Amino acid sequence: MSKILESLPLTVVAGIVLTVIMVFATNQLESMNQSGPEKAISDLQKKMN
Amino acid sequence: MEDFIVFSVRYLHVICGIMWIGILWYFNFVQIPSMPKIPDEQKPAISKVIAPEALFWFRWGAAGTVLFGLILAAMNGYMHEAMTFQQPDIGFGMWLGLIMAFNVWFIIWPAQKIALGIVEADADAKPAAGRRAMLFSRTNTMLSIPMLYSMISVQNPPGL
Repeated sequence: MSKILESLPLTVVAGIVLTVIMVFATNQLESMNQSGPEKAISDLQKKMN
Repeated sequence: MEDFIVFSVRYLHVICGIMWIGILWYFNFVQIPSMPKIPDEQKPAISKVIAPEALFWFRWGAAGTVLFGLILAAMNGYMHEAMTFQQPDIGFGMWLGLIMAFNVWFIIWPAQKIALGIVEADADAKPAAGRRAMLFSRTNTMLSIPMLYSMISVQNPPGL
């Protein structure tokens, strides 16, 4: 990690990668919230069983 | 009137945020890369004059950004939803901002006080503190990119 942070261009690239991950996670969380948290938990429990 | 107060708090939040992130980017995009190119006899101008002054506005900009941001979230009634990711679009930005402000006040500033000789420390401690401050400043630069995306995209949806 420190190798990335020692380089300014790599730091910026890492920031952009984090942004893409955050956008993906936001969309996933929003779709879960829209369909109801209880349903999401129930689906997850079914998958685990 | 309430709308104007909310607007004013948001305005102060943005002003403090520009102060904070502007100086963060100055450190990372200008000062740190330029230091090796500056002759040794001129370096005290940076380390003794410019950096301490920049660090003052940097850390108080961070404090103001967080303070007005939290007031704004409370006034708009989304504090709990955001912090628990029921509203993840702004929630990610708020958490990233809080982590960054923590880094400023509890890691970067204490380390810079040692590195710049503002507090007494062993000679060996100075380079280690300088490196710690630089790495966490870079961490904040990295986190500022998704943090700003989150803050801006809530007000201006990117259509993704």
